[in-house]
Amino acid sequence: MDTLLKLDDFTMHYRTKAGWVQAVDGVTLSLARGQALGLVGESGCGKTSVAMSIMKLLPYNSKVVRGRILFEDRDIYSMSDEEVRRMRWKGIAMIFQAAMNSLNPVYRVGNQIVEAIVTHEPETSEREARERVASLFELVGIPKERVDHYPHEYSGGMKQRAVIAMALACNPKLVIADEPTTALDVIVQDKILREIDQIRRKINMSMIYISHDVSVIAEVSDVVAVMYAGKLVEMGPADNVFKKPRHPYTCGLMMAYPSILGDKHELATIPGEPPNLLDPPAGCRFHPRCDRASVECREADPVWRAVAEGHYTACHNPVEITGTWSEAVKALNGGERLGASSNA
Amino acid sequence: MRRYLLNRLGQVVLTLIIYITLVYFLLQAMPGDITQMYLANPRIPQAAREELQKQLGLDQGVVMQYLNYLKNFFSGELGVSFSHYPRPVWDILMERLPRTFVLFLTAHVLSFYLGYLLGRIIAWRRGKVVDYAATVVGITFWTAFYPLLSLVLIWVFAYTLKLLPLNQFIEPRLWQGAPFPTNTVFGYMVYGGGAVAVGLFLVFYAFLRGLKRSRRNTARAWLSAFAIIAVALAVAWRTGLLVYIWDIASHMILPVCTLTLISFAGTMLLMRDSMLETVQEDYVMAARAKGLPDTIVRDRYAARTAMLPTVTSLVLSLASSMSGGLVTETMFSWPGLGQILFHSALANDYPLATGALAFTGVFLLIAHFVADILYAVLDPRITYAGQPAVEG
Amino acid sequence: MWKIRWKLTVRGLAQNWAVFRESRVGMLGVVIILLFGVFGALWPIMINTVWDPLVYHPVVGFDPMVLHPSPPTRAHLLGTDPIGRDILAQLMFSTGREFLLGVLSALITVVIGTVIGTVAAYYGGFTDTFFMRVADIMMLFPFIPLLVVVGSMVRLTFFPFAMILGVLGGFGGITIILKAQALSVKVRPYIDAARVAGGSSFHIIRAHIIPNVLPLSFLYMMFNVTSAILSEATLSFFGVLNIDMSWGMMIHTADVAGYLFDFGKYWWLWLPSGVAITLFCAAFYMVGRGLDEVVNPRLRKR
Repeated sequence: MDTLLKLDDFTMHYRTKAGWVQAVDGVTLSLARGQALGLVGESGCGKTSVAMSIMKLLPYNSKVVRGRILFEDRDIYSMSDEEVRRMRWKGIAMIFQAAMNSLNPVYRVGNQIVEAIVTHEPETSEREARERVASLFELVGIPKERVDHYPHEYSGGMKQRAVIAMALACNPKLVIADEPTTALDVIVQDKILREIDQIRRKINMSMIYISHDVSVIAEVSDVVAVMYAGKLVEMGPADNVFKKPRHPYTCGLMMAYPSILGDKHELATIPGEPPNLLDPPAGCRFHPRCDRASVECREADPVWRAVAEGHYTACHNPVEITGTWSEAVKALNGGERLGASSNA
Repeated sequence: MRRYLLNRLGQVVLTLIIYITLVYFLLQAMPGDITQMYLANPRIPQAAREELQKQLGLDQGVVMQYLNYLKNFFSGELGVSFSHYPRPVWDILMERLPRTFVLFLTAHVLSFYLGYLLGRIIAWRRGKVVDYAATVVGITFWTAFYPLLSLVLIWVFAYTLKLLPLNQFIEPRLWQGAPFPTNTVFGYMVYGGGAVAVGLFLVFYAFLRGLKRSRRNTARAWLSAFAIIAVALAVAWRTGLLVYIWDIASHMILPVCTLTLISFAGTMLLMRDSMLETVQEDYVMAARAKGLPDTIVRDRYAARTAMLPTVTSLVLSLASSMSGGLVTETMFSWPGLGQILFHSALANDYPLATGALAFTGVFLLIAHFVADILYAVLDPRITYAGQPAVEG
Repeated sequence: MWKIRWKLTVRGLAQNWAVFRESRVGMLGVVIILLFGVFGALWPIMINTVWDPLVYHPVVGFDPMVLHPSPPTRAHLLGTDPIGRDILAQLMFSTGREFLLGVLSALITVVIGTVIGTVAAYYGGFTDTFFMRVADIMMLFPFIPLLVVVGSMVRLTFFPFAMILGVLGGFGGITIILKAQALSVKVRPYIDAARVAGGSSFHIIRAHIIPNVLPLSFLYMMFNVTSAILSEATLSFFGVLNIDMSWGMMIHTADVAGYLFDFGKYWWLWLPSGVAITLFCAAFYMVGRGLDEVVNPRLRKR
């Protein structure tokens, strides 16, 4: 397959008064054209840092320690500022976590999109750009006459759609959607996710979905990557990962979310807290919260290895699931090997 | 929109009445009966004393006196000046007001623009040498003792370098036998300058309105701008006004510079602080992600919203900058409201002093009103009806 | 109980001081103010030990040995003024007065502003509207011209002048700013909690709202010191104040005697006091900017 984006042992730290925060550590993944990748993990595990690294929008106190990010086989971190500027939006666009606040309150929404188009495609006239914005609005389901309104005149859902329209404005090759629907209610959330997915398939665009919500990721991703404390712990085709998760953290994360269509199971929380990234635990970063932890886990960093075709994990004692996930959950609830505490 | 304006206008009139009342009672409350003090002053001509007596209605009660005063104020009868006897106060003030207005407006627009430009640069380069240097220099000018600052500027530019005229409004020798009276020329200057400003605004608006700026349009805009200025200068030259206009304009340079220097830092520092907050906003990050050039992110995103609080503070600081303006006028002998106010106060010219004080208030009120409207235009989130904007 | 409170206060101050120290501009201001403090404190020592009061008295001193105004000499390090008084002695003597004037009037302003601001925010309604309208009108008053007119009718002396400045400032724009701050405190849950617990209005305002408004008041106090001293200097310069000696008076003396027309030649008549006024005001303003970063966390770097 044709690789669009590749992260190669990418490691990025933040400098703070207390020391270096190891926000992203040795992330290796690749994304093919037209593929949708879901990046899932708890808050603060470094998902957004990965997104910002790909956009090269890191704050001034960050430092890329090692590794590379290749977009269309070019290292983003050795490009000039001007090249990066041209790559943004035309190559990689982004739907921000706080869509509500990512529109400038004193500019008309349409103008903010037209601006992006005419900046990246100087040959396009302003009128053509305006027409394109109108058709984009149609695509995401905003009435055309709303183009010349100000953001405060939009409802939350409309702002979200406008931000999506803005991300699609320059026909980017890759769109990173950072918690695209967190602020919306479940019904709207689902609708918008489906719409994005349809548009993506139609124009054969790649996507990275970032969410803490496993169900969102499950719905729209081809490939799933699970992140914990700045590291990838598991990655593979969505079907594989969700049916036969190998890393205990992935299992824990899935147990923590209800499944509407699948069988009922008791929701379980993962005991403990995510580690402090200023001074992460030695060995596997998940070991203090893992009930499968062995001596090895405490001492040695697990290697990133393939467990099946395209399915990778970093675990010394991967979970073996035979049969279906729901059977496994039942078994686990009974045998309480995984999520120990349960709540009714 | 109309309702909003009417509402504001009503408030302005109400505030004005309160202000004039305060001025009136403040002067009434001064120890020693002022009217007696003035009536007994031998320097004041007999006719003026009678005039004052009549104007103040001294034979009537306090309330009647006050109402009389209000009525007189709104019908423009402010009495007769002692020191410029027998010129009516209204006449003197109406002659002075445009001069103060022009000085005040020019200096304010300049200092606001300068402060805005510098503020957004130093906020963008926070923590760099430029930031510290501009902050310290700005504070020094902001807290400078401005009578002295004007003296220093006069000394350097007019006295030592002889680049600019010393002070005052005009060069008397030049105007001897001039075909135009000063005020006529000044009037032409104000109207002509206003027309040129409107013309320039229209030109830039017409050519640079869109989001897409082509080099050709920019060139066209600048060419037309130069053409307009050239035509205006040519007209002035043909009519023989140019030399007189230049005389007045060159007398304006130093006071305008002084006023700009003492007040740009206020806008600059506030702009810096306010922009340090807006650069953390998500939409600035989003604009950068959109791949917009750095200067556009700075100007259209970070600076545009950061400007709003500076406009508010501009309104709040109008009175104090007016004080600075009046002092500066006096230092440069610029014959505006401020100079007349100081002179009349020191010469115990009571009708003129109160009149000038009241006029200053009127002037400030109008400035307030304009600034309010400006704010409403700049911030689309403000609705004229005064209702909060619909938030979904 | 008060021991705990004291400890908390000290700890809070220490933390704020740590933040404040990061502001270079603010620290520069503190250093300048301290230098002025030392300079002003030297005055009583000098006049009682080194200087002969007959010669060096700032108001009535006279040196019969030299022609006046005399340029800086060994006896008069900054020269003398047109009526034979020592400039350095005047400068030192005035420093203390400027501190007193600035801090006194700023204190009055801030006390009035804080009380009105919190009361208006707490009670709302008519009280609020009334004081806000008053503030609107006060903001319309061009103080300096007003005081010129007043000063031409009444001879304003030092303390009444400080009071007037303080009171005029106190009803002005500062109440609007402090009210906004008090409002943001008023809506916090612990105010409701205090009310439910039976705290009286007075208690709530004093114990809960005012402490949270105070940092901002303190910040505005610094800015008010600056404006008070500038006003004093300007009015002294125009000769409408009845103050025997101040930095503004020193320039006024030179101006009245006509020496400001030959500006460069008689530099010692205006430069020391002019620099002192600007530096002193700038220092307080800088401290205010430094405090701004303490009070307003969004301005901090991290």
